[in-house]
Amino acid sequence: MVKKLEEKISAFPSYIRDWIKTFRGKITIVCLIILSLIPLLTQNKYFIGIFLTFMIYTIFAASWDFLAGFVGQISFGHAIFLGISGYVTAYTIVNFNLAWWLALLIGATIAVLFGLIIGIPALRLKGPYLALGTLAMSLILFQVFIMGTLSRWWEGTIGTELFGTDGISKVPLISQDPVIEYIITLLIMCLSLLILTHITKSNTGTIFKSIRDDETGAEASGINLTKYKIYAFMISGFFAGIAGGLFAMRFRGVNPGIFQPLYSFYAIIIVAVGGIATISGSAIGAFIFVFSGEFLRETLDVSLLIFSIILILFVRFAEHGLLKPTLERIQELWDILLGR
Amino acid sequence: MGVILEIKNLTKKFSGLTAVNDFSFEVRRGEFTGLIGPNGAGKTTLFNLISGHEKPNSGTIRFDGRDITGMKPHKIVNLGIARTFQLVRSFRFMTLLDNISVSCLSPRGKKVAKEYGIDEYASSILAAVGLVDKARIPPIILPHGDLRKLQIGKALGTNPQLLLLDEPFSGLSHEEQKGITDLIIRLHADGVTVFMTGHVLRELMHLVPRVVAMHQGKYITEGPPQEVANNKIVLEAYLGKGSEQLA
Repeated sequence: MVKKLEEKISAFPSYIRDWIKTFRGKITIVCLIILSLIPLLTQNKYFIGIFLTFMIYTIFAASWDFLAGFVGQISFGHAIFLGISGYVTAYTIVNFNLAWWLALLIGATIAVLFGLIIGIPALRLKGPYLALGTLAMSLILFQVFIMGTLSRWWEGTIGTELFGTDGISKVPLISQDPVIEYIITLLIMCLSLLILTHITKSNTGTIFKSIRDDETGAEASGINLTKYKIYAFMISGFFAGIAGGLFAMRFRGVNPGIFQPLYSFYAIIIVAVGGIATISGSAIGAFIFVFSGEFLRETLDVSLLIFSIILILFVRFAEHGLLKPTLERIQELWDILLGR
Repeated sequence: MGVILEIKNLTKKFSGLTAVNDFSFEVRRGEFTGLIGPNGAGKTTLFNLISGHEKPNSGTIRFDGRDITGMKPHKIVNLGIARTFQLVRSFRFMTLLDNISVSCLSPRGKKVAKEYGIDEYASSILAAVGLVDKARIPPIILPHGDLRKLQIGKALGTNPQLLLLDEPFSGLSHEEQKGITDLIIRLHADGVTVFMTGHVLRELMHLVPRVVAMHQGKYITEGPPQEVANNKIVLEAYLGKGSEQLA
């Protein structure tokens, strides 16, 4: 049986084959298989919903990890993309009756445009100033939406609906069938992680990493910093936007709260826990984050305090996140079990 | 032999301090030229002005007949000027091969590198600077001499016509200096115009046929190393007043 499996695998292109052979590849495949089986193992809608939230946060955090871990641009305002795309997706579905995937793509594209708008002033800011600048931008958007400022300018139906303080509601789910909703979200998550990982491993990824490691040196090597920084913001914005659109459809609506800095911090916490500059570490981080959030649901007020303490512990003891040390420990355990 | 770099009346002030003062000089194509001057003479600032990292207050710089004054650094690199830095810099978290690949991926470097494949081309540059056996190592653990070689390699990735080397020997042991010297000689023999600064004068003086001296931002004199070393003002600049007796 194992031989047949091996023959099947040898039909794949070589670098995928190499990846499957590694421990990391095998564990990832096992996790993916388990994940895909979840909707078959349980009918509990609530439980499936937690998994959906986990997958959406994975995409969101991965987009942040891409920007911070591979291009060195640390944004404290990633909620902007979540919110913009969430609103656009929600609005186009509710008012134009578009198919979910079209609305999602439109939402993500508008988020990309915001990536461009944010990227341009971001060019001049570095480190803590970039963090503050992006935080400020997300706060401005939050205020604009929560005060309904634009709804007064944009009188009439568009105004009140799009910019009203109640947000947009009655957004339909991706599918009435929770299994389909789950599988689609799972596929989008895998695709997003794959694409982001592929970009980081490409030549463009090498250029991005050079900007992260030494901007002046990258410039002295002939790299156009402006061009590549803007690309990076746009790519990150796109995937954060995908997460935002999925968010709107999962929770059946959006409101100004989606622009809160809290969501931006969620991305950062998830990446800190899962591992910066790993892309797939966001999955581990999001899993821990979402599921421990459920356990701490009783202690709602204290939960943020607990998260903060956990985060501090992580930063102190697992500086580069959990992904690598966990993989190493599991691999050791596996070796011991096999008697090596 | 034409002029590849023409600097005319270049001046740069930093709130009260004039780092480069009405400096004019020509670097000729294919030549090997040195720029000397004591610490603080303005050599690095001059390089920063040429490479676009600083903008001059007045004056012009022409490269290959083209006015490049105040152009952005990456544009200047893509026109054919590459430089190394006095304080070694590298892409700390990437392998040596990737370090070189970055410049091979610049628009100018890519044109050449594409024909051979980016990785292959970067490998050949690593081999040329003598670091190919460390291709998969990140720069963090390298000794200083290897880091200087890496810098030169990174500059080569952009396929430069003119190479500006800022203090390539500083902080190096005698052997390491020899290694860099051989490398630079080979590059020059391949047709790259080399303009280097130094204040490790012994190495420099044996290496270059022509030298220009700078002091307090001003042009002092130029000529063969022996002549310049015996110039009164140069001696005074390096050794203090009264040293013109040594000329």
